[in-house]
Amino acid sequence: MLPTGRRGPSQTAQSASPMLASILPTRPVAFFGHVLISGAMALRGSWRFRLKDLGRVTADCSGRAVPIVTVVNVLVGAILAFVGAVQLVKFGAGIYVADLVGIAVAREMAAIITAVVMAGRTGAAFAAELATMQANEEVDALEVLGLNAVDFLVLPRVIALLFMMPLLYVYGCVTGLLGGMIVAAGMLSISPAAYLDRTVLALDWSHLTLGFSKSFVFGALIGLVACYFGLYAQRNAAGVGVATTNAVVTSIVGIIVLDAIFAVCANALGI
Amino acid sequence: MALLRVDGLEMRFGERLIQSGVSFEVEPGTIFAIMGGSGCGKSTLLKHMVGLLRPAAGSVAYNGVDYWAADDATQSKLRAAFGMLFQSAALWSSMTLLENVCLPLEQHTTMDEAQREARAREVLEWVDLAQFAEFFPSDLSGGMKKRAGLARAIATEPPLLFLDEPSAGLDPISSKRLDDLMLELRRRTGAAVVLVSHELPSLFAIADDGIFLDADSKQPIAHGSPRALLDASSHPTVRAFLTREEPPGAVGASPTQAERTPLRSSLASTPVTDDDTASP
Repeated sequence: MLPTGRRGPSQTAQSASPMLASILPTRPVAFFGHVLISGAMALRGSWRFRLKDLGRVTADCSGRAVPIVTVVNVLVGAILAFVGAVQLVKFGAGIYVADLVGIAVAREMAAIITAVVMAGRTGAAFAAELATMQANEEVDALEVLGLNAVDFLVLPRVIALLFMMPLLYVYGCVTGLLGGMIVAAGMLSISPAAYLDRTVLALDWSHLTLGFSKSFVFGALIGLVACYFGLYAQRNAAGVGVATTNAVVTSIVGIIVLDAIFAVCANALGI
Repeated sequence: MALLRVDGLEMRFGERLIQSGVSFEVEPGTIFAIMGGSGCGKSTLLKHMVGLLRPAAGSVAYNGVDYWAADDATQSKLRAAFGMLFQSAALWSSMTLLENVCLPLEQHTTMDEAQREARAREVLEWVDLAQFAEFFPSDLSGGMKKRAGLARAIATEPPLLFLDEPSAGLDPISSKRLDDLMLELRRRTGAAVVLVSHELPSLFAIADDGIFLDADSKQPIAHGSPRALLDASSHPTVRAFLTREEPPGAVGASPTQAERTPLRSSLASTPVTDDDTASP
């Protein structure tokens, strides 16, 4: 069964006091708890989803996302290099464009931009797919069979994003640096070897660890948000559209909010 | 002991009452029809029986075991005792027909993969879809989807089947074919069928027993086979449903000769308003 709420307001009212229900978003919290429990069960080896489905959604949020992740990250790296070069050249510090691009891409941009792209691409696809399954009674058919929708549908999608986002982040870093390198070579005549040398000097493991951690969290966020809005969608065509929109908007806002929290924490920890 | 016993069931969506006082029993090998007008709660009743919706009051018992009072493990065992065909067939769109039929077998039997596939192909053969085993649901027509849904529902040979408007949207020949499949299924496996349907020819042809839900009074108003209700029921709503004639005095009922007004004279007597003259 799904966590409280999908069966109509009566069950939600029974599950918490009216006062508590008005303060706490009980349904998202119950959903998150259910995913955590299902994840823990899966770690112990008792997963209920099909490995074939996990493979399908993993392919969807990894290999098939590579072209758009490449384009966006190369361009973001190039834009950073353009903006940085214009200012740094005034002080005769053009070579430091590599530092600027390297740190900005590794700490912030690769993780955020890749996450935003994945929210708009894969998150939207997951939300639309689950909402359509809900509208077509496919989720009900699973539950009648005794297969829980969270175990069978949500978990493979969250797992796929959880593990593919960090890989895409690493790839995003490489392509972002490439974009910066192209602009540095074209505008400032900095050789690729000098650019890479400067980048290696500027980057430190803390930058990469921070970006890597962010991508892991962003992956979980996109998967959870997309599946939540998909599973709790209204059972009609408009509901599919609303679920998709809500999933994308909530994911993007959530990514920015989480990034701000990461920034504050990193500052407090001196990273 | 009845295979399925529904006792004093009350269905609500929040504060809105859908039906109350729903009680009936289904014996093994019976085809039981849930009848009633659109929106009276037939499909909702079915969802309460298969564990998708929790009743506000009353009980649903399989072989004497109350489904909603049972723990998760017992509910899981009870679920293995029934199959369901949804109104839209509800085939899993990311799976082929073969995978759709194999999944219930994987969930409720101890068959290995080869046995599951052999059984799934056998069931698909029975509903004339063997050559479409590797197709996805999106590649099938409505009637084929319904038959595939039936194949999935009967794959484990459950003693009880729930069918939600199996003939809806089908042409008369496909509809007759589904009726024949249900009768054949009962003959072969002795399964009981609980059927929600509006299709009078199907109801008269196959249903042994039934209940009639009324949307106005929000409770059952008749109990018996469609044929018996047609012969004996004096309730105007039941008679109107089964004879396809609107009850006397109902909004939209056919007017008597004296009440009929020629359309032309009716239009002529309609006053012209400012809005009418302003419209282009």
